[in-house]
Amino acid sequence: MNSDSFHTVILPLKDKFFRLAYSIVRERAEAEDIVQDVLLKLWNRRDEWDYIENLDAYCFRMIKNLSLDRLSTLNMRQTGTIDPERENVHFIDNRSPDSEMEGKEQHYVIERCIRSLTENQRLVFTLREIEGMSYREIAEALDISEDMVKISLHRARRKMKDLLSGYRDNHV
Amino acid sequence: MTRIERINFLLDKYWNCETSVPEERELQTLLSSKDVPEELRHLSALFSYVKDEQSVSPSGDFDRGLKKKLEQGQDDGKQNAYVTIRIFRPLLRVAVSALLVLGVGISLYFIAKQDNRPRFVETYRDPNVAMQQATLALEKLSHALQQTETASVQTIYLIDELDIDWSAIDSLSNPVLPETDSLTQRKEGGV
Repeated sequence: MNSDSFHTVILPLKDKFFRLAYSIVRERAEAEDIVQDVLLKLWNRRDEWDYIENLDAYCFRMIKNLSLDRLSTLNMRQTGTIDPERENVHFIDNRSPDSEMEGKEQHYVIERCIRSLTENQRLVFTLREIEGMSYREIAEALDISEDMVKISLHRARRKMKDLLSGYRDNHV
Repeated sequence: MTRIERINFLLDKYWNCETSVPEERELQTLLSSKDVPEELRHLSALFSYVKDEQSVSPSGDFDRGLKKKLEQGQDDGKQNAYVTIRIFRPLLRVAVSALLVLGVGISLYFIAKQDNRPRFVETYRDPNVAMQQATLALEKLSHALQQTETASVQTIYLIDELDIDWSAIDSLSNPVLPETDSLTQRKEGGV
């Protein structure tokens, strides 16, 4: 791999890297910093690229590890609150104020549910649901087996289903 | 299959992790639309959340900052290499000079240590000296041979005077022979 490949293969993945970092740290600036650090590190290790089997999976692992490190060192609290920058998100267009409030509440519930997942479940959920990656790609990116990916995803979805069903029952 | 049936079919597969990525995208589209059935509305929040998360991307400044940092990183690499060479250049000069002096010194030492003096002086240019030296050498050789011969003769005389029984000495040097003979005789007698 050469520097051209870096610009054509790795840099276009920066949004995915950012979303993975963001899903862990839940801070935009921090996530951007992490992605930048990882890409710069990778760029400065150009001599080693030929020895890395799957460079994009390698990047995902670097992003995951660095994000978890930052999270622990900065002692950032995952309170389950919605990012203030994205608080005004509208799930479904043209909603009434009541349904908008309901949407925010549901958003909060989902955020809280995702926060309650284990680390593996959360990462697998993010990479599958948000990035649409295959089981194999997720396994390579997180350095776990495909079976583990399926189990984690199944548990995460089951948890999500139970939580959303409980929410519906409480609001009927 | 009606729309609601399709949603339920996909949802069943989704909860069991049997959906493909395109099917999940389809489900997301179906549940994110405005006319979601009331009984499934609570699920639309999940897919809307996913859709919303998919649109998250770094800020506009991020690309510019990253590009700048990458270029800076590249320049830093070159700069660092240049600085390294520049810092070490005087040291390299000293090292090369020391190595050169050391090499020359060692070479000279070994050359000087070599014994290049001739092993003997050729005398063919002066026949008289050569003749003298040759005569002297031959006389020494002759004298030594004479001494050896005299000593040998004297030793022989001394041994003769001792009156030694040579047959007894011979029997000591070959004691097995008589026994072998007797054994042979015994065998022959037995037969």
